[in-house]
Amino acid sequence: MKYTVREEGGYTVLELTGEVDLSCSPEARKQILLCLDEKRNLLVDMSRVNYIDSSGVASLVEGFQTAKKRNLKFGLVGVSGSAMSVLQLARLDKVFPIHLNVQERLKADG
Amino acid sequence: MASTSTVQNLFDRSAVYTLDDQLQLLAEVTQSFASSLDIDETLNNAIEKFMEYLDAEAASIFLLENNANELVCRACAGPVDINGLRLPAKAGIVGKTVVSRTCQIVRDVSKDPNFAKNVDDGTGFVTRSILCTPLMVKQECIGALELINKRGGDGLFDDRDRHLLSALASSASLAIHNARMADRLVEQERLQKELELAREIQLDLLPAPKPGDFPVVGMNVPAREVSGDFYDFFQREDGLIYFNLADVSGKGMNAALLMAKVSSLLHHLAKQISDPGDLLARVNREVCESASHGMFVTIVSGFVDPATRIVRMANAGHQPPLYHGGDGRFEEIPAAAPPLGIIEDVEFPVSTVTLRGGSLYLFTDGVTESLDENHRPLDVDGLIRLIRARAAIHVSKRLQDIVAELRRPQVSQRDDITLLLIECRPQ
Repeated sequence: MKYTVREEGGYTVLELTGEVDLSCSPEARKQILLCLDEKRNLLVDMSRVNYIDSSGVASLVEGFQTAKKRNLKFGLVGVSGSAMSVLQLARLDKVFPIHLNVQERLKADG
Repeated sequence: MASTSTVQNLFDRSAVYTLDDQLQLLAEVTQSFASSLDIDETLNNAIEKFMEYLDAEAASIFLLENNANELVCRACAGPVDINGLRLPAKAGIVGKTVVSRTCQIVRDVSKDPNFAKNVDDGTGFVTRSILCTPLMVKQECIGALELINKRGGDGLFDDRDRHLLSALASSASLAIHNARMADRLVEQERLQKELELAREIQLDLLPAPKPGDFPVVGMNVPAREVSGDFYDFFQREDGLIYFNLADVSGKGMNAALLMAKVSSLLHHLAKQISDPGDLLARVNREVCESASHGMFVTIVSGFVDPATRIVRMANAGHQPPLYHGGDGRFEEIPAAAPPLGIIEDVEFPVSTVTLRGGSLYLFTDGVTESLDENHRPLDVDGLIRLIRARAAIHVSKRLQDIVAELRRPQVSQRDDITLLLIECRPQ
């Protein structure tokens, strides 16, 4: 897994690339929590994630819960087909705010 | 380390120490290091010998600790006991020795800016000269061996002292390294025993197989010592049979602890609550209150009435159970709610299946992600093939056969494998 961080429309966008599995989900978790520790609204761009397991999903869940506790905005954008099927299977597509891309999320925010 | 030149210098030495003396000291020290793994006692005995033999007023061994941020005195000899003294890793002559990884001879400490005077100020000891050599293991410096104030001769340490101390330091380094490795092995063994104990406790949480034609059978094969998967089934006093199969996110001890909590909660509450949706809603609220680090639980939980063969169950984000109908067709029953432990206010819709000569299979992703003979994930289609080929076999044997197929020796198990099979035989 690789990641990049960029700023867009008042959000920090963490783009994950590759496989988010047990071996690298601690790094994904660290980056997610780092953004939230710095009180930044966070979008996780998952357009380049080709595999995610339950430990990776747990990192997203922790980000979602931490953001909620700290009144920060959190969401997923551009979720790839394979990642989406994992989220849908677990009905997590109804839990996370998911948008096609950052622009769509900004529109939804109003 | 004892280089060729060091050995040569030992041979050259004749005035103060004879070669026999040196070899005897080295042999004695090495033997004492080899005979005990109590490193503190051994080092303290050795440091006395080093001090006496090299005719110094005091001697000490400092080891790097606390992520190499501190030098801690672990053995000393002389008029002042400085055992346990902590110095910043770069402080004093000992720090300079460790940083430069070279032996330091300081003939007059008052003229050396690296000398840490505060130690003398605290102990009342007066340091005049120092000989300090690094303790090396392979390419790593683990501390330093220091002699203070040469007693005889001109009161100064010389190159001959330096060569002998280097040889002794090599022996001490090896002894410290061995003792640390031994400590690590003991610690690993202790952890292994604790994991085995945890596994035994986990196994006790799983239900024992029921005799006769009990409609539910289950199997759990953990990939590690402890598992994040669990299942349960038992018959209530009113005749209803409660069952569940779950997967805690993540692996290892934290998943095992959450597994123990959720499984105990369900076992207790399923005796009082008969609606599968209400039961999961209640447990979900409890898990949401305490679950941390994003951990969650996917689960299928429900009741089967052996009299009517009706199964009522709720699925919280878990792999869809497979119903293999009496007509041979397979049907997936997907989740209608997210996993436990994520959001508090959520409803868990109930699905109903009537087992008309059919079987219901519940399983974790360790089953569908098992690799087949081509090293590809088995997937639901692969599981369907395994079930179809064994449909006529008795339930317990069928489950064992399927698990045996998933654990073929040529493929290493990647995840916990857990399966539950519900089948009501015609009465």
